Amino acid sequence: MSNKIKVLKTAALITFIIAVFAGLIYSRIKAYSLAPTMKPSDFHGLPIWYIPIAYLMDYFSHGWICLLFAFVTAGLIYELIPKEAITKYMGGGKAIGYGVALVMAPFLTVCSCTMVPLFAGIIYSGAGIGPAITFLLMAPSSNILAILLTGDMLYWELAEARILASIIVSLTAGLIISKTPWGKAIEKEYSVNNASQQEKTIEIVKSPLDERLLSALKFGGYLAKQILPFFIFGLIAVSYVEAYLPEDIVGEYLTGVKGVLIASVLGGPLYTPTLVEIVIGRGLWSLGMSKGALLAWLMGQPYDVANALAVSRIAKWKVVLTYMLIAWIGSVTLGLIYGIISGSL
Amino acid sequence: MTIIIEVIGVEPPCKRCAAVEKNVKQAVEKLKNEGMDDVTVKKLDIASKDVVSKYGILLSPALAINGKVRVAGRIPTVDEIIKLVRSEVQK
Repeated sequence: MSNKIKVLKTAALITFIIAVFAGLIYSRIKAYSLAPTMKPSDFHGLPIWYIPIAYLMDYFSHGWICLLFAFVTAGLIYELIPKEAITKYMGGGKAIGYGVALVMAPFLTVCSCTMVPLFAGIIYSGAGIGPAITFLLMAPSSNILAILLTGDMLYWELAEARILASIIVSLTAGLIISKTPWGKAIEKEYSVNNASQQEKTIEIVKSPLDERLLSALKFGGYLAKQILPFFIFGLIAVSYVEAYLPEDIVGEYLTGVKGVLIASVLGGPLYTPTLVEIVIGRGLWSLGMSKGALLAWLMGQPYDVANALAVSRIAKWKVVLTYMLIAWIGSVTLGLIYGIISGSL
Repeated sequence: MTIIIEVIGVEPPCKRCAAVEKNVKQAVEKLKNEGMDDVTVKKLDIASKDVVSKYGILLSPALAINGKVRVAGRIPTVDEIIKLVRSEVQK
């Protein structure tokens, strides 16, 4: 009897997941817009209290499937990737460490529960501070959720540029910091021997498929609960930005070289692993911000204060400041390059 | 038989680590009612040197029973924890 229930439960979960995927594909075939469709001019004449409501209704009436898909996918991937393999390889030496950090960070959706321990673990286990920094910078800017939403709310070419830019910046930051005297000092201070040879102490149990699927959806729900309040707050802010910020100010200050510089600094403090930067970036973009400035805006990892605080407890402030500076230079440089290539600086 | 359950999470505890701790406490409570009262629960900091040198890099929240990591990166249910403890006792 209990076996039957299990089968039914598994079937129900799989059906739900397939329905979500099918919903997204259907919206694609029908070419619905998954981003807000209101233009700045649509806001004129609306009463002040009604502006965010109109914008939220506009967004959620078609954007919900994208959000649902993003959270379900993030949960599934987090649950189904072989986590033991990652943690084992991360401690496996420098070159492997960098590779794993770059390839795997995007799949470990942002959550302070995951980031800080992994950062510490990578340093302690002897892979060194380089891969640890690479991982730290790569994960928030290129995780599944951020990329899916960048693609859907803005456009897919930008999502690709964002991944590429993150790889360049985080790898550079990791390599440079591992060469600095203060980076080396931390490696020396923290390395513990034989950390990666402890297979005997790890014997992960596999749970049955229905439990895994359920816990994947639960994790997706957990992420949604963490992120959606900020996301909705961001949408409300954007509705006012679009309604009241004159286009000529955006055109004046957020284009050209000056635009990239301003965007890289302004985008920073707003940057949180809560996807708000995507929403607000969209608002400014629709008001005329250049593509180059938009990329610089999205590359705000160096200012992730929560992460920086946690990291500074393990590494020293010097390390934090170094990677902040490298990441900032990276966001400006890559913003300019992207602006020139895409013809929108 | 002595059972030591280690809840390995971040300090200060994040929500998911706290959830594991709660489930562990409930499991221990149930086990006590069944007469198994030699169960100790310990909390470890996943980002500490000791934990990394003992277990290597882990994803939090993790759960170790008698020195073996059995769950990492997810929240085990109360029943699952009880099952894990029982299988340890049977050894």
